[in-house]
Amino acid sequence: MTGRWRALLRLFAVQGTWNYERMLGVGMGYAAEPLLEDLKTVDPVRHGEAVVRSAEFFNCNPNLAGLALGATARAEYEDVPGPQIARLRTALCSPLGSLGDDLFWAGLVPALVGLALIAVVFGAGWWAILGFLVLYNAIRVGTAVWALKAGLDAGMRVGSAISASWIPRAIARIGPLAGAGIGLAVPLVAGWYLRGFGWSGGSGALAIAAAGLAVARWFGPSLTGVRFALLSMVLLLLFRRMGL
Amino acid sequence: MSELAPLSIALLVLWGGIVALDLVSVPQAMLSRPLVVGMVAGWLVGDPEAGLRVGAVMELFALDVLPIGAVRYPDYGPATVVAAGLAAGAPWELGLGLAVGVGLVVAALGGWSLRLVRRMNARAIQRRAAALAAGESGAIRLLQYGGLFRDAARGIVLTGLGLLVAWALVRWLRLDRPTAVGLTLVAVGTGLAAAVNGAVRSAGRGARLRWLAAGAAVGTLLAVFR
Repeated sequence: MTGRWRALLRLFAVQGTWNYERMLGVGMGYAAEPLLEDLKTVDPVRHGEAVVRSAEFFNCNPNLAGLALGATARAEYEDVPGPQIARLRTALCSPLGSLGDDLFWAGLVPALVGLALIAVVFGAGWWAILGFLVLYNAIRVGTAVWALKAGLDAGMRVGSAISASWIPRAIARIGPLAGAGIGLAVPLVAGWYLRGFGWSGGSGALAIAAAGLAVARWFGPSLTGVRFALLSMVLLLLFRRMGL
Repeated sequence: MSELAPLSIALLVLWGGIVALDLVSVPQAMLSRPLVVGMVAGWLVGDPEAGLRVGAVMELFALDVLPIGAVRYPDYGPATVVAAGLAAGAPWELGLGLAVGVGLVVAALGGWSLRLVRRMNARAIQRRAAALAAGESGAIRLLQYGGLFRDAARGIVLTGLGLLVAWALVRWLRLDRPTAVGLTLVAVGTGLAAAVNGAVRSAGRGARLRWLAAGAAVGTLLAVFR
């Protein structure tokens, strides 16, 4: 297995040592190790410095970390001054975090979860789960392969490569899809659960949902959805215990 | 909660460890989404329908989470394993409410345990600061394996403790039918509120909000006339 493929596999564990000091730093160092191996024979001193730099503070969306990893690894081989590589790493944190979060956590994941919930409501069962996993992982593995290659190809010019890539266009398309998917899914899921409880049960649950929304608007984020749910359940148990 | 066989309990605890790892550490393949976790956990205890019902409600709560940067969030993976184990063997209309309630407590504890592991990772890095400053690749590997081990152990302990508490709770808290149904309706209602709240917050005020509204209108029509 080449260093590039080993680095790609290790990127899937890039958050393995996530912490509040270096964030993804150590995970990036772990993924960089196979890419920097050849540098050890060429220039052992430079290799040692590169390993230190690779494990320093870094944070971004894990699915786009390959762009930073590839770019900095290439820069190490091109003998770019160390402080310049450190600046590149720092400069990539925000854009790769923002683009990746918009693309994956705020876009692709809710869109696919929405579709999976709709499929579950229509009786797809295991197929809904399998379809969700296959589709998501096909896209994220494809993105990881592309990101590492693009980073290695671009080196210090990775910023322009990101701007010219497909990512900004994909974000513009996935946002509306996520909105529509969740918008479709929520009423269907509500119907799926509440149909069997009759008019009074269904309207009671919808009233609780409306109260939960209002509470989240007025008291959020101190009263989160989880806290509101637990509070409502405890109140219900107390009322029932009092015979109400 | 029906009496679970030791093998089922062991499989649930193992599944809890896997999904806890998947959330952040490795491989982030979305195995930890409650919908996936619930279906598999339900299948492991012989009741995939209950697992799916529990998983879908927990998924509604999970849609309220946007895991960006160092934001704190509940861990719904082991929580859904516990909830699915608790709901198995009973009609979902009666078992879902209590299962989701226990699941939400485990999820909150999971969020706390995640922060604990992150602080332990930071302490491990501080202990090996000299080796890191010297550029020792071996130190990086050890830190990485240590971090993965801590996260897997977190998931296993969380799931095991959650199942234990669930088992004790079922014996202590005898719910009559109206209370059990009421809890289920509260779980569904609050789950719907969480999902809508998360969707509106993510939508902002642009095109996505319009698509959300259009989707909701079509979904409502489909739900009514289905």
